[in-house]
Amino acid sequence: MITVDALHHTFSIGKKGHEKKVEVLKGISFHIERGEIIAIVGKSGSGKSTLLQIIAGFMKPDSGSILVNNTEIAGYNEKQSAAFRLDNFGFIFQNFQLLPAQTVFENIELPLKLKGVNRDLRAQKVTELLNKVGLTEVADHYPNELSGGQQQRVSIARAMITNPPIILADEPTGSLDSQTEQEILALIRKLNKEENLTFVIITHDEEVATISDRQFRMTDGVLVGGMSRVI
Amino acid sequence: MLFKDQLQFVLQHMKKNKLRVTMTVLAAMIGCAFLIVLASIGFGIQHTLKSELLNDDAITQIELWGDETLAEEDVAYIEGIDHVNVVLNRAEINGMVKSSLDDRTGETNASIADMTAQNKLPSSLSEGRLPENANEIVVGYHYGQSLLNEADLAELERKSREAEEAGSYYDGSEEGYKDALLNKEVNIQLYDENTQEYMEPAAFTIVGILKEPSYDWYRDTSIQFSDSLLVSYPDLITYPSTTIYVDSMENVMPVLELLKEQNYQVYSQVEQLEELDLFFLIFKIGLVFIGTIAVLIASIGIFNTMTMAVTERTREIGVLKAIGASPSLIQRLFLMESTFIGLLGTGLAIIVSYAVSFAANAILPYVVSFAFSDEDLSSYDITFSLIPWSLVVIAGGISLAVAILSGLRPARNATKIEVIQALRQEL
Repeated sequence: MITVDALHHTFSIGKKGHEKKVEVLKGISFHIERGEIIAIVGKSGSGKSTLLQIIAGFMKPDSGSILVNNTEIAGYNEKQSAAFRLDNFGFIFQNFQLLPAQTVFENIELPLKLKGVNRDLRAQKVTELLNKVGLTEVADHYPNELSGGQQQRVSIARAMITNPPIILADEPTGSLDSQTEQEILALIRKLNKEENLTFVIITHDEEVATISDRQFRMTDGVLVGGMSRVI
Repeated sequence: MLFKDQLQFVLQHMKKNKLRVTMTVLAAMIGCAFLIVLASIGFGIQHTLKSELLNDDAITQIELWGDETLAEEDVAYIEGIDHVNVVLNRAEINGMVKSSLDDRTGETNASIADMTAQNKLPSSLSEGRLPENANEIVVGYHYGQSLLNEADLAELERKSREAEEAGSYYDGSEEGYKDALLNKEVNIQLYDENTQEYMEPAAFTIVGILKEPSYDWYRDTSIQFSDSLLVSYPDLITYPSTTIYVDSMENVMPVLELLKEQNYQVYSQVEQLEELDLFFLIFKIGLVFIGTIAVLIASIGIFNTMTMAVTERTREIGVLKAIGASPSLIQRLFLMESTFIGLLGTGLAIIVSYAVSFAANAILPYVVSFAFSDEDLSSYDITFSLIPWSLVVIAGGISLAVAILSGLRPARNATKIEVIQALRQEL
């Protein structure tokens, strides 16, 4: 499904002329199978978010390879990356990243609009998904009228609406209380089982990592682990 | 993304920033309306002058100058040119001509015309016929006004003095011979240049009255003799001229060019019309240029609005890009917004310009009359402002192009927003 090989990335920090090079990814390699939930755990500054952003195509790596379903995407330009994301990735962000001026329904249907799906089919798909994530009653509400847990459900629904094979989640429960966190994790687990979706979850929270099939640990740009979870 | 979804997306955002968008549309409207109205003045003045020239019968005529009457072979050559209908030899008689009828006398201008050629032209008479021999004449529509007796002269003097005291002018239209002139016999004295005295009176019969002149202010009291007059008065000093009548305005220039090539001294109002068109083309380009400056100022407003829109929506752009919106789509959405502002501004500007133009044409004649003269200009066909479709297309095109260009840079900036930076922004 996803094969990352010898991924390197360096940031330049400091004033121009006095830049300091910081190597954030030091030859990352791993493989993920379809239907797995993978947790990449690490402390702040370990490079885990950079890894996710590079896989998503938000930035280009200095070197290395990223194969998704045998397609090399590391060298894609911005346009190619955007088209690939639309077809293959769904995103769940820590602070939800919903559009405040759009209703729950409109936020969820946004990726379908980008794909050029017609209005009737969009309505049908969004209604089904609202039902699945338990948000039917708040479909016409705006994000600021919802709780954190509800907003993250909207975010999850938006990530799933185009049926992408892979969901990339960056600290999906980082802004939630522990009870809501459990609800969201349960929902992720449920969707993984029912829809056979692949989740790549970036987290610093060991609790979140417990729902994963495999865990990787990121320390100073080096990835270790990848062992199956002991049930 | 489907076009109607893009449209809905853009309209939704414009609605959200109603006040700012409205102000920008107003700025675009004022700029474009200023451009149209300014240029419309050029079109209006040109239209007025052109109509004046085109309404004149002389537009299909070519004047040929010379010291002597055109020779017969020249007449034959010119008449042989395609599209030439008639070649009319005329001559102005030197000095004034005295005429008398009963106890009335008057002095007028007089001319001689080739009546055979004149006959081929559309009738210039309001009644009667053209002279057929040397003793017949036609007279101008106001000829009777030139025939005054003692009582008329005293009355005319009194009225003229009164009018002068009142600061106006009296045209003498109430005096003169009021009865029918057709078939009346008048005694005419021609001026002899050699003896510097008037010749003996000779009797002439008025067989035709010319049409009323097209200009209200013009009083035609002239006398037209047949060219056979020169047989009786061979020493009469005249100033000959020839008028060539062409079948239509479009054919005047080719005939004119041909005659110039043959070294004839010719002139036509059509030449003046072409010079007029060239002058007004340059004049209108100047006005459009000045008007475009207003549009450019309005474009700064559009640029600001779009830059603000991009800055405000940085996070939203980040989200759109993160979930798969292509840079070209982001650019298109912002360009559509600036295009909408331009379209709305231009559309409103066209409506406003037509209203201003209509009002200017309705009100300005009264204002100008009031300010500069006592004469009522509203009775004249003066166009102060004219908005032809070509002006609407040019001004609309400039306004719309400027609006799109103003939105281009902000739209490009929107595509350059980095997803990671944008998503870090708080609401």
